[in-house]
Amino acid sequence: MITSRDMTKNGRIRVAVDAMGGDHAPGEIVRGAVLAARKDDVEVFLVGTTNVLNQELDKYGASGNPHIHLVEASDSIEENESPVDVIRRKPNCSLAVAAKMVKAGEADALLSAGSSGAAAVSAIQYIGMLDGVYRPAIVGSMGSFAPNTVMVDLGANVDCKPYQFVAFAIAGSVYARLFLNIPDPKIALLSTGSEERKGSEAVREAFSLLKNSGLNFIGNIEGGDVLSGKANVIVCDGFIGNVLLKFYESIGGYAQVWTEQKLKRYPPLRGLVRLMFKGLFPATRISRGAEKNGGGILWGVNGVVKITHGASQAPQIANAIEAAKESVKAGVVESMKSELAKFNLGGKS
Amino acid sequence: MTVEEQVREIVARITRVDKSIITRHSTFKEIKADSLDIVQALVAVEETFGIEIPDEEAQKFQNFGDFVSYVEKQVAQKGKA
Repeated sequence: MITSRDMTKNGRIRVAVDAMGGDHAPGEIVRGAVLAARKDDVEVFLVGTTNVLNQELDKYGASGNPHIHLVEASDSIEENESPVDVIRRKPNCSLAVAAKMVKAGEADALLSAGSSGAAAVSAIQYIGMLDGVYRPAIVGSMGSFAPNTVMVDLGANVDCKPYQFVAFAIAGSVYARLFLNIPDPKIALLSTGSEERKGSEAVREAFSLLKNSGLNFIGNIEGGDVLSGKANVIVCDGFIGNVLLKFYESIGGYAQVWTEQKLKRYPPLRGLVRLMFKGLFPATRISRGAEKNGGGILWGVNGVVKITHGASQAPQIANAIEAAKESVKAGVVESMKSELAKFNLGGKS
Repeated sequence: MTVEEQVREIVARITRVDKSIITRHSTFKEIKADSLDIVQALVAVEETFGIEIPDEEAQKFQNFGDFVSYVEKQVAQKGKA
């Protein structure tokens, strides 16, 4: 039967899942856990209101699954609540309890489909950051148009201090090495010009820090170079990264509409266009690559923390559990630690 | 170490600002502390001194000096109890 806090390793990676976070929680989260637990190298710890979770498990005949465990959490964070409430008002919410399990060594990774901000706050407060890293960052690959390029930060840090860009560069380099097999990734700073003096004050200061960091920094690149392959790691603040990500993801759909309108007099060609865009342009979606490669990780945390879309259904949850497991196996945190140890990232004053 | 020095250490560690630039007149904005930094500092101070700082009190802090004064008062009251 289901056991609570029956922490076993047995060579399996233990993933603590925030079962109350996400648009379809807890039903789809539980169903996703059931799918994920079919693999023989993972243990899933569903954190939330255990009597509700047990009812959900019963629906799938999985309440006796020895690789799914329930952990009680008396509270949960709603999407409209302030992320910092995790600390002051709801320290026993499902997300916080799952994070504390990682800190205590009772789980190897944390997954949440709930509020990304709350997940970041939980990670910072209850797991802690690696030495030299101030806040977590999100790294994502640029998909088919630039398969050897990643961008960081994709939205975790809207306002950044100059030294944060160095931590972003390190996170991006580790990602490129581990997931894209690029041995010495070229790092560039996204700016409004290639010259050192271009960009905001933070970007100009970051240029100087990166130039003297010992990293493989090639200088600034402009927006037009993002997909050129000049850089393997493109560093920017989370505001720019998130705007660019969403714009990039939208291009395929708009290009399809535009092309179909142009070909409205030629119905057979329109069908061909639909087919082409269905197969071709969705591949530009950064998030798809991120899901596959573990890019939904909060990089810089002293433990694997995976965030996934709030709208995720069971198959996506199962994929995310799998990606969290693979990130643990790949040694994401250990690689970050060893890279960070080479650099003095300094303070923000 | 005085209460003020301990609180300054905590705030400097969390915000990653050199503690020498934190004066009693420094606002949280001046030391580049965002809402998460402030909440982390409140929790760390509560745990260090074994006191509680209600949100309604914390919202009144205009600067580092207000924060320290409140903590000093709570610590003194705790000592008397």
